[in-house]
Amino acid sequence: MDERIVVRLVLNGEERSFRVAPGRRLLDLLREDAGLTGTKEGCGAGECGACTVLLDGRPVPSCLVLAASCDGAAVVTVEGLGGPAGSHPFQRALVASGGVQCGFCTPGLVMTGAAVLEAGVTAPADQARLLSGNLCRCTGYVKVFEALRRAGEDGDG
Amino acid sequence: MNLPVEAVLRPRDLGEALSMLAEDPSAVPVAGGTDLVVQLRARRRHAPVLVDIGALGLDRIAVEGNALVIGAAATMDSIARSAAVREHAPALATAAGQVGAWPIQCRATLGGNLANASPAADTAPPLLTAGATVTAAFPSGQRRIPVLDLFEGPGTTRLAPGELITSVSIPLDPVPAGARRVDRFVKLGPRREQIISVVSLAVRAALLADGTLADVRIAVGAAAPTPVRAPAAESVLEGRPPGGAARREAARALQEDIAPIDDIRAPARYRRLAAAVLLDRLLGEISHG
Repeated sequence: MDERIVVRLVLNGEERSFRVAPGRRLLDLLREDAGLTGTKEGCGAGECGACTVLLDGRPVPSCLVLAASCDGAAVVTVEGLGGPAGSHPFQRALVASGGVQCGFCTPGLVMTGAAVLEAGVTAPADQARLLSGNLCRCTGYVKVFEALRRAGEDGDG
Repeated sequence: MNLPVEAVLRPRDLGEALSMLAEDPSAVPVAGGTDLVVQLRARRRHAPVLVDIGALGLDRIAVEGNALVIGAAATMDSIARSAAVREHAPALATAAGQVGAWPIQCRATLGGNLANASPAADTAPPLLTAGATVTAAFPSGQRRIPVLDLFEGPGTTRLAPGELITSVSIPLDPVPAGARRVDRFVKLGPRREQIISVVSLAVRAALLADGTLADVRIAVGAAAPTPVRAPAAESVLEGRPPGGAARREAARALQEDIAPIDDIRAPARYRRLAAAVLLDRLLGEISHG
C-alpha cells in the first residue's frame, strides 16, 4: 500500500498542500517537506517539548502528531509566530532577559510560552506549570520564566 | 522519519469509521496519537492501518439528562478547563490537568487514555470512583460498559474487535441534604509534571453534616494489572469521619486492595507505602475541609 496522502494546511498563514506518506509525522512535514527547520526534534517521544508547534491555536508536540490527521488545520511554527511586524513579545523578552543559551529548546519554549500568553495565564506558578513540558538543559528556567512574566506585563510591547 | 504505517483512513463520519474498523479487524483507531505514535515509533506496537477518528465531532462535553457526557475525542486540556467537569467531576478535571504536560494535554484524548489501558492511566481512578460508563459503538449499534469492567490487563481492554469508544458518561448522583461531595485525585511520581504515575489515587464520597463519610469510593492506579477500586479501604471508612482512627485503618486496609509490581518506575514495596501515604494525605485534606 503506502499510498500518499494529501494534507492541506494553513501554515504560518499561508495555504499549502503536501503529499505525504501515511506514517509522516507533522514534525517531518514541517522540517523536511516545508523546509521549516526552526522546529527541532529532541526526544521524538513527546517528553521534551522541543518540537512544539501551534495546531489550531493549541501547543502540541509535533513529533507525536500524524500529518495525515492535520488536513484542514492551521499550523504555526516559530518562523510564523511574529508576523511581519517583527518577533513575538515573548521572543523579544527572551532576548532581553538572557533566556536563551544553546537555543535548541527555544523554538518549542517560544511556542508554548506564546500560547500561555494567548490563554491569558499570568500567575507565575501557573505559567511555570504550563511550560513544564519544555525541557531546557542550559538556562535553569529562571530567565525563561522572567521573560514570560515580562512579556505578559508588557502586553504587546 | 515516517512511522511504520501503511495507511491512515480518514472517515467523514462515525458510521463510516465504524464500517472501516469492522471491515479490517487489525485497523486501530487514532485520535491524539500521544500513546500510539510513541508505541509505533518504538516498534512496540504493530498497527499498519490507522483510522483517524479525531475529526468526527466526538469531542463534546455536556450535561445530558442525569449524566455528564464527555466525547471520546475530548482532549485532556478541554476536560481540565471544562466548567461542567470541574463542577460534577473535579477529580477527573484534576487528573486530566496532570497527564503529561500541557502540549500533551492539548492533544491526548479521554478515549485514548482508556483504550490504551495503561494501569497508570490517570483518568481511570476518578472515572472508577464516579461510577462512569463508556459507550462503545459498532456498525449495528452500541453498548455501555462500566469503566470498572473495561480493563482486562496491562494494555488490553474488553472491547470487541471493531468496537470504538465514543463517549464516557458520569452519573450525576446527588448527595443527601446537608452533605458535601468530596471528589479528589492525587498522583505521585519523581517530578510534579510530565510523569507517568508511580501510584495514583482517587477518593469520592459524601461528607455528611455529622462529619462522617457515606458512599465512599476509592480507586488506585499503577498498583495492580489494571486500575482498581479499593473495597477494603472503602468499607473501613464508610460511616466514619475521615480523620483519626479510620484514616490509619484505611491506609492499612488499602494493602489488601492492591497488587503492585516492581518495574522501572518503582519497586512494589514503594508503591504499597506510597498508596497508603496518598490515601492518608487525601483523607487529611478532606477532614480539614
